[in-house]
Amino acid sequence: MQSMDLFQGKYIATMDLYPQQAPEFNRIYPFYQHLKEGRFTTTKCKKCGARPFPPRVVCPECMSDELEWVDLPTEGTVLVVTEEEVGVPLGFETPLIHALVDLDGQLRLFTRIVNAKMGELKEGDRVKLHVFKVPPVPMEKGREVVEVERYYYAFEPVKAS
Amino acid sequence: MRKVCIIAGGMCKWGVRNASQRDLFQEAARACFLDNPNVTNKDVDGIIVSSAYTERCSFQTHLAPLVAEHVGIKPRSVCMRVELLCASGSSGIITAYGLIKAGVADVVMVIGGEKLYMPQKWEVFYSEMASVDHDWDGAQGLGLPPAAFAMVAKQHMKKYGTTEEQMAMVSVKNRRNGLNNPNGQFQEPIDLATAMNAKVIVRPMKLYDCCPITDGAAAVILASEEKAKQLTDKPLVYIMGSGQASVHNMSANMPDWTTWVALKTAAQQAYKAAGLTPSHIHVAQTHDCFTISEIIEYEDLGFCEKGEGGRFIQDGQSDFGGKVPVNTDGGLLSCGHPFGATGIRQAIEIMRQLRGDAVRQVEGAQFGLTHNLSGFIAAHTVVIYGREA
Repeated sequence: MQSMDLFQGKYIATMDLYPQQAPEFNRIYPFYQHLKEGRFTTTKCKKCGARPFPPRVVCPECMSDELEWVDLPTEGTVLVVTEEEVGVPLGFETPLIHALVDLDGQLRLFTRIVNAKMGELKEGDRVKLHVFKVPPVPMEKGREVVEVERYYYAFEPVKAS
Repeated sequence: MRKVCIIAGGMCKWGVRNASQRDLFQEAARACFLDNPNVTNKDVDGIIVSSAYTERCSFQTHLAPLVAEHVGIKPRSVCMRVELLCASGSSGIITAYGLIKAGVADVVMVIGGEKLYMPQKWEVFYSEMASVDHDWDGAQGLGLPPAAFAMVAKQHMKKYGTTEEQMAMVSVKNRRNGLNNPNGQFQEPIDLATAMNAKVIVRPMKLYDCCPITDGAAAVILASEEKAKQLTDKPLVYIMGSGQASVHNMSANMPDWTTWVALKTAAQQAYKAAGLTPSHIHVAQTHDCFTISEIIEYEDLGFCEKGEGGRFIQDGQSDFGGKVPVNTDGGLLSCGHPFGATGIRQAIEIMRQLRGDAVRQVEGAQFGLTHNLSGFIAAHTVVIYGREA
């Protein structure tokens, strides 16, 4: 196709599903480094103690920029489940399952659930953080193009052992 | 402060259109001037263009001068685009309202539209990932709204006993209201059984519980009261107040899924500015992007008690002859939803209802309301209109 020829396989950031994670493009890059270590984190204000999600570079309560990284629970309980059977956007597979998950009273996250079959996930089930690699970003650094490795997250059922 | 009137309005044919974004804007402007032949493009001193996906779907930014050029308007007071996704249209209206009220502009066209059908269909659906918090919700595959509203519906059903039948009744009503609206996307009635047996999108939402993707544009002209008296011989319809509120953006920060706190705030602000209460409203156009949305809007706009929205539709209270006829032109479910045009379409219908020349007229309507919801139920915009008794 002509348009494919035009772009010559170039990376198009405005069509990228996932966030930019390189320090050059994102000051909250530690979140993604923590993710790679299996940690789910956010920022906490050293001045007023506010702990918003998603992480910030400025406290939305007191405008302080003295923030520290803190861990959130990596397990939670399913409150409500939705399952998309049709019309799933490019980049996702059917069924696309989402759940409102209570991270042990610290955060209510509406998140994607992976490794679950249609109709399998129920209210009250325990789910845990699932970290996966997403396509790297070929980033220009001077005259070179370097690959920026990236990670993202979903949750998955904690299988009964 | 000056009073502000809405003196003309029109929309092009909405649906899957064999046309470009700029074609649609020209058609809407023409329809708007045809509605009130006393006002021409030479009388307009400002333009506000409402469009959300102009960059993503038409590769076009700096849209206001382009539209002005195409519709023969040479703005000298205001020339800008406003964007608040699904509420871009209402945002344009309240921006123009404020500017005219303050004396910055006199006669302003607010024109909104979208060309959403692309040569390949996946692209608009993919672009929806830019409509929510891209980095946190979009990347979770939460861009397309049915999942979020299914989550809302499940919780409303559980908490208040709302049923799938009650939700289906909203689409049956709005499809019926849209029957005589030739510019809407659909003119086919549906019955309850059809709605209930339709293809599941995300349980409990089925096909007719969801508004479609739509190409379309709409335009209105707002004017100071003084100019309005010169430029129209129809009954004067005033903007009486507005409110626009947001308390979260990312899904994780939504304070309550079944009571929309920001909607209540926006409504209270608008009622206060207008000096009215919900019981004064004779007709309303609310954001029925999904059937459950309209049910919650009855409640949070104060048309019924919290949790009684399902009963409100079932008892016919939102239909003609009921307490507050809602979405009398068919709403989003019947007219479709070209994001930046929707709030303008709502304003046109309320203008006609208050002038007394609507296709499906609410007899003697004096006060009307529009409500737009945008994003991950993240912002709410309410505008109240009134006619002098």
